[in-house]
Amino acid sequence: MDRAAIVESNFRRRVGEGDLPSVSPGSGLAPEAAVSIFRAQVLSRALDLESRAMQAAGEGFYTIGSSGHEGMAAVAHALRCTDPAFLHYRDAAFQIARAGQVPGQSIAWDLLLSFACSSEDPISGGRHKVLGSKALNIPPQTSTVASHLPKAVGAAYGIAAARRHAPKHETWPRDAIAVCSFGDASANHSTAQGAFNTAQWASFQSIPLPLLFICEDNGIGISTKTPKNWIAATFSARPGLKYFACDGRNIYETRAVSHAAAGYVRRHRKPAFLHLRTVRLYGHAGADVATAYLPTAEIEADEERDPLIVSAALLDASGVLPRAAAMEIYEQTRARVSRAAAEVITRPRLKNAQEVMASLIPPPRRGMPANSATPAQRAALFGEELETQKEPQPMSRLINWALHDLMLDYREIMLMGEDVGRKGGVYGVTRKLAKRFGPDRIIDTLLDEQSILGFGIGLAHNGFLPIPEIQFLAYLHNAEDQLRGEAATLPFFSRGQYTNPMVVRIAGLGYQQGFGGHFHNDNSVAVLRDIPGLILACPSNGADAVGMLRECVRLAREEQRLVVFLEPIALYAMRDLAPGDGAWMQTYPAPGARIALGEIGQSGDGTDLAIVSFASGFYLSRQAQKDLGTGIRVIDLRWLNPLPLEAMIEAVRPCRQILVVDETRRTGGISETVMTVLAEAGRHAARLAAEDSFIATGPAYGATMPSRDSIITAARRLLA
Amino acid sequence: MTTAILICPGRGTYNKGELGTLARTFPDPALLAAFDAARTARGEDALSDLDAAADFCAAKHARGDNASGLIFAAGYGDAQSIADDIEIVAVTGNSMGWYTTLACGGAVRAEDGFDIATTMGRKMHDDGAGGQILYPHMSKTWEPDARAKADLLALVDKIGARADCRLSLSIDLGGMLVLAGDDAGLAAFAAAVPQKDGFPLRLPGHAGFHSPLVAPVSEEALGHFSPALLRQPKLPLIDGRGQIWWPHAADLNALWQYTFGDQVTEPYDFTRAITVAAREFAPDLFIVTGPGTTLGGSVAQSLIAANWRGMACKSDFEKRQAEHPLLIAMGRDDQRRHIAQGQ
Repeated sequence: MDRAAIVESNFRRRVGEGDLPSVSPGSGLAPEAAVSIFRAQVLSRALDLESRAMQAAGEGFYTIGSSGHEGMAAVAHALRCTDPAFLHYRDAAFQIARAGQVPGQSIAWDLLLSFACSSEDPISGGRHKVLGSKALNIPPQTSTVASHLPKAVGAAYGIAAARRHAPKHETWPRDAIAVCSFGDASANHSTAQGAFNTAQWASFQSIPLPLLFICEDNGIGISTKTPKNWIAATFSARPGLKYFACDGRNIYETRAVSHAAAGYVRRHRKPAFLHLRTVRLYGHAGADVATAYLPTAEIEADEERDPLIVSAALLDASGVLPRAAAMEIYEQTRARVSRAAAEVITRPRLKNAQEVMASLIPPPRRGMPANSATPAQRAALFGEELETQKEPQPMSRLINWALHDLMLDYREIMLMGEDVGRKGGVYGVTRKLAKRFGPDRIIDTLLDEQSILGFGIGLAHNGFLPIPEIQFLAYLHNAEDQLRGEAATLPFFSRGQYTNPMVVRIAGLGYQQGFGGHFHNDNSVAVLRDIPGLILACPSNGADAVGMLRECVRLAREEQRLVVFLEPIALYAMRDLAPGDGAWMQTYPAPGARIALGEIGQSGDGTDLAIVSFASGFYLSRQAQKDLGTGIRVIDLRWLNPLPLEAMIEAVRPCRQILVVDETRRTGGISETVMTVLAEAGRHAARLAAEDSFIATGPAYGATMPSRDSIITAARRLLA
Repeated sequence: MTTAILICPGRGTYNKGELGTLARTFPDPALLAAFDAARTARGEDALSDLDAAADFCAAKHARGDNASGLIFAAGYGDAQSIADDIEIVAVTGNSMGWYTTLACGGAVRAEDGFDIATTMGRKMHDDGAGGQILYPHMSKTWEPDARAKADLLALVDKIGARADCRLSLSIDLGGMLVLAGDDAGLAAFAAAVPQKDGFPLRLPGHAGFHSPLVAPVSEEALGHFSPALLRQPKLPLIDGRGQIWWPHAADLNALWQYTFGDQVTEPYDFTRAITVAAREFAPDLFIVTGPGTTLGGSVAQSLIAANWRGMACKSDFEKRQAEHPLLIAMGRDDQRRHIAQGQ
């Protein structure tokens, strides 16, 4: 007999026979509210059981459940339905209870659709069993452990920030609090720890952060037990983080403590940690058999502690609901869910790749007209720099001005990152912005890339347009799941109902003389190239950088896209193409001039050889072009994801030979795709790519990458 | 046991063909006598007399207090007539059918429900401003047309925004929209849409139910009726927003506030109520109580709009009805006999 059946049998026997645990009557909760919570708990349990039956019948596909965690219904009762909730995957009871606060919901049906992977599932459209609802302010979360905590911190920051200057598309009420829940095992994850630390860091210096962390402590993570009292010991005395604890099996206590915790967060706009002791019933998920690693006696002891039985006992003892009525609710709910499930399994499912991919790219956002500041506003902002804008300048300066203009045009833009404010960035790209736009919009963050990206995601949820900066490309890698697993998947798992548009600026790539090395000049972009829906832009010169950055902001503002803007460090200060010619500096493009997504650059119109490159590779190819003569055209891809392949093939069509120059690595670099596509188009090409190596510091900084000379050599070989 | 949703109709369902309904079908003579006594004590015509009239007189039978009383009684009586082997899993209704729903679901005593229905009918007759107009967005074959519906609602918003007009959605009624407005608003709408098959149809004797036009009635009702009238329902009730009020778990103060507040002045979404009923209770049957049969079409259209059991048009519904009836109209003797006691 499986454990789920045993737990159900126990409930029926014990509630039916009155073999209930001894409990004190509850107080502080109206009778109908207590029953309402119980009903949500029962529905959550019934859905768990039904999901298993559906899977057994081949009609359901994912059974990780909420059994033992039904106390979250009481937590939901203590919150407002407009408080954004980033939920643990065991929180169906929370969502059900919240659905009772918003008229017109069909919550059982909706969750069953999710179990069945029906394309009518209102949140993910059949792409995954996730909790979530637009109407209920529950953005869907992946089950990547604790990866939703950094954005919950960002969301809380965004709620508070909107009081200071509200974005047009502000989502949540000013007095809302953000809520995020997770398991006791997840609390150990470095991502979670980073989020706790960030919240504390903010709270410690009195930065408003209305955020309630909820740790659902069932004492075990799959098969590994959490040390006894670990959660209390490690969280009860953290600076800036108020600790609350309750028995999650007691709905009266849970509701009261949750109410107190939420009240503290709402009143003080400081984070709090609610430690909710729960039970895990029938293993981790459907395929997990707990008896394989736990003594039966321990499993049975947990089953004895079934929160549903405790609720029935509490309601009976409190004179709110006789146990016979509790049993009637249970049986009626079981029958109701089974009837609905029989209908749900007839609903359509996703049939093909096109349907699966339909929500990779979010829908455009209406009512976002392009704005442009008046000349007077620009003059007030830039002062004497307006004159300087008429003279050629290097890329870092032009990007800085572009950021100024964009922030002037769009008040919802916020910049955040390490040293972006007071210092103005390592390379001065964000210089003067903090002074001109204030610390509310230019935020010096703590040193944690996951938190920086989480900040951006959370702020974007509340209608801001974040431009987070990752100081160096090599620093992205500890945090890339915030883009991959969180930001990019949000529209996918929500049918485009939730989005987190932003432009992530990253300084990177090689060729930086005298400093560099792998940690500052990483030349791998593979991690950004295979994220569906993500746009990766990489300019090779200042004027392009301005036009492309404006396009990136447009893509985020108007099309809700997730964009990464990769700035080649070596070109930030580049002035010359040939020594002393100043040819790599440009004047600042007129406000409004943009380079559209997919638009490539081209230098020369020779037909002997096309050199296809980007960033510093394009710069070096332009140097080589001078030596190679007029038969050469050099093509700048500009956009690295998605690659502008059709435009590239068109541009190389008249050319006899093609050379691909790629400063990213031979393996996993840009040229792999470019070569493949050219071959598929029937074109033979040679390539010059970086070695599969890390970048060295010192004189050998460029040794592993294409150079002007190696480009000339390779080109001449093709032209011979 | 067969499971069923009970659906109580609203105004406009007791017409000439329904004369004699109570005499024929009301199962509890003592209760009907109590209803009559309550009315005669207030100087109103007894329901039995109205029901027994030789001729239907619109001025009398369709007047708010009389029509509401007749419709409530017929609906409540039908609910009591359903056979024991039918398990009613939830109750819902349309418009004033909400008052019948409250009584059928046990949230008010029958006598109190009757008092609420007739009092609200009278207040609407006396103090309700504006009127209602009916217009379809589904074709004759009942194929959902979300665009047509959205266009009509946009038109309503546009006319309603004019300084000289008042117009808003009153009831989302399956394949139809019922609109509430003042004369100028209703006329502007009628002039702006194509005339087809008798639509747009002005509903005689109706005020601008479920709109701000009847806000004074809501205020009077909140002052007149006590929250103490309400009790925990014995069955789940689905209101005009699709919200479910569960037994043992209903906030009675909120239920009172909704019933005499938003329910009166905000749009009534019958389509959503039926959708929620289907999806959350997945019943074998949808039983529309009497009087009349007209609400059955709106129920079917609502189910089609929700693509319930794959039904996408009228012929799908008719095919299913012919094979395994999904909808029972108690106002039709041939259908009533399937589910009524002693039939």
